[in-house]
Amino acid sequence: MKPIISHEVFLTSRRDLKNDHLLLGFGPFPGAASIKPGQFVHIGFRNPLAFYRRAFSIAGVNTVKREIEIILKVIGRGSYQLSQLRAGEGVNFLGPLGNPFVLPGKRQTALMVAGGVGYPPLLFLAMHMIERGYDPKNIVFFYGGRSSEDIVDRARIRKLGVRFLPATQNGSFGERGMITALLKRFLSTPGTAGSGENVIFACGPEGLLEAVDRIAAEFETPGQLALEAPMPCGFGICLGCVVPLKSGGFARVCKEGPVFDTGTLAL
Amino acid sequence: MNSPGMTSARTKPAPLNKKDTRETPDLSVEIAGYRFKNPIWTASGTCGYGEELDTVFDLNRLGAIVTKSITRQPRPGHPPPRCSEESGGMLNAIGLANVGVDNYIAEKLSFLDGYRIGVIVNVAGFSFQEYIEVCSMLADCPRADMIELNISCPNISSGGIEFGDNAKEVERVVSAVKKVFPRPIIPKLSPNVTDIAEIARGAEAGGADAISLINTLIGMTVNIETRRPTLSNNRGGLSGPAIKPIALSMVNRVYESVRVPVIGIGGAMNCRDVIEFMLCGASAVQLGTALFLQPDLPVIVERELKKYLKKQKLDTVTELIGKLEKY
Ligand SMILES: Cc1cc2nc3c(=O)[nH]c(=O)nc-3n(C[C@H](O)[C@H](O)[C@H](O)COP(=O)(O)OP(=O)(O)OC[C@H]3O[C@@H](n4cnc5c(N)ncnc54)[C@H](O)[C@@H]3O)c2cc1C
Ligand SMILES: Cc1cc2nc3c(=O)[nH]c(=O)nc-3n(C[C@H](O)[C@H](O)[C@H](O)COP(=O)(O)O)c2cc1C
Ligand code: FES
Repeated sequence: MKPIISHEVFLTSRRDLKNDHLLLGFGPFPGAASIKPGQFVHIGFRNPLAFYRRAFSIAGVNTVKREIEIILKVIGRGSYQLSQLRAGEGVNFLGPLGNPFVLPGKRQTALMVAGGVGYPPLLFLAMHMIERGYDPKNIVFFYGGRSSEDIVDRARIRKLGVRFLPATQNGSFGERGMITALLKRFLSTPGTAGSGENVIFACGPEGLLEAVDRIAAEFETPGQLALEAPMPCGFGICLGCVVPLKSGGFARVCKEGPVFDTGTLAL
Repeated sequence: MNSPGMTSARTKPAPLNKKDTRETPDLSVEIAGYRFKNPIWTASGTCGYGEELDTVFDLNRLGAIVTKSITRQPRPGHPPPRCSEESGGMLNAIGLANVGVDNYIAEKLSFLDGYRIGVIVNVAGFSFQEYIEVCSMLADCPRADMIELNISCPNISSGGIEFGDNAKEVERVVSAVKKVFPRPIIPKLSPNVTDIAEIARGAEAGGADAISLINTLIGMTVNIETRRPTLSNNRGGLSGPAIKPIALSMVNRVYESVRVPVIGIGGAMNCRDVIEFMLCGASAVQLGTALFLQPDLPVIVERELKKYLKKQKLDTVTELIGKLEKY
């Protein structure tokens, strides 16, 4: 089995992405080179404000410097504590954890559906694919939020050369409405759905994942969902992070996931 | 004397491996006729069946692993939310999710074959019959060095009152499984009782070879927005540093009330805590919830325990057991 590394890392970079979003770089992490999009690190503090560690999707890696980037939104105790770290301060990274996204075929179109702070693993997926020779034109980046402020990091997404399709519920940026409605409209284009040419990748709030799961079924399009759940351990030993399966029983989000195929979960 | 993890140990006399013997300070402890290379164990339900933890550190560093409670049939467990984060700990109601004893024997136990550590199989049941069936199936598995009996389960035939609630019931279930399992039995006591010493004496009277404690304390928390309990099961078990003082007090109480070795559990987060448990009377200490925060903790505790013993000029860790200087 691939080893999980528990390792002290240090804050190496910090960038404000506005609206309480931060891009943080940590290193050196010995496992950096093997990390794939969809995987996460479980972050432990020496004197934690909360009790558990906190899971964060890997949002990018620098394999030369062996650094890992995460993007967080300051919400509560764990994210606040991360936001207060100063350059050179350390935290413990446990990882890389979880199963990554399965890359699409080179000719397929990747429909990435991000809701709010669910966008980091999808941004990493897009960067990872482009580095591996995928055509950015075959990536459609759907990105939804309540209002314009929720759509952060736009410049980096645009720079990738992907098709960028934002939507906000109040219409202050991009289309007005739910991002999933936009996805549905896209798939309704004649000849698009069920053609085997599209693969959906989604990460965001529960409601978004539920809707994407339904849309994937309706349009007979394969898809992968990246889930979140409160995680006491993050690597499979506590059975605390489960999600119900359609086939009965439960799967651990941290171990069998966090990426699941559409159509498999009882959301 | 047997050395757990060496299945041949029962046929050949006591071949302690080199590492186990004359290292100073000596961390090995003897419990129920078995020698464990150190007193640092992992607690049931906090280390799975060992596979995942072995990806973080070499399980051979442990004295013993206590695997997740198994029952006669597989159990899917409770729906989410199963855990809730609290100050100083967590509540859980996993619902004894496990693969069932058949799958456990066929698939999980063999994973531990190559490891030279004690394998202690935790068994849960909802009736006498279930405990007896599961334990007798394990009798034929030499890799199951010992059984830890999780008696914090509701007995369906007595209206759901926990087995561990009543000293006579505890005595009865322990003596019943002693008849079907030829190796040591360690009842694991529930702290949700009036007099822990009485329960411990019941366990000893039933033939317990050692006693472990404590399991989680029953607790509840509420989400004030939804007015729902934080767990789907409404109530759960509290674990983590918040329960350590209760655990230490109960370990000490039991240590003074029975003759068999005591194994301490409950909120141990670091080497200091492990030493506290041993001073209160524990011959070994199980790390539980702490593994979620720091999965390689056993390795760190091992190193620090050696340092502490050296500083205290002690040759063996057994010199700590019960050496509390009470007022
Ligand atoms: C696989 C995975 C990947 C993830 N990736 C990312 C990512 O890339 N970026 C990201 O930002 N997040 C990510 N998360 C979420 C992240 O792990 C945290 O859950 C998130 O940062 C919030 O944690 P917190 O400690 O800041 O908030 P918490 O303190 O846990 O608070 C969460 C909520 O509870 C409320 N709350 C706060 N204190 C209390 C209290 N004492 N009692 C009750 N309620 C309270 C808060 O108001 C808030 O609404 C991911 C999670 C998983 C499982
Ligand atoms: C998530 C979780 C699952 C547990 N599952 C079991 C179990 O299956 N059987 C058992 O006997 N104890 C179980 N326990 C109890 C622990 O083994 C231990 O007795 C308790 O958590 C107190 O120790 P701690 O504070 O060090 O965790 C579980 C505890 C936790 C936190
Ligand atoms: S967080 Fe412990 S099993 Fe997933």
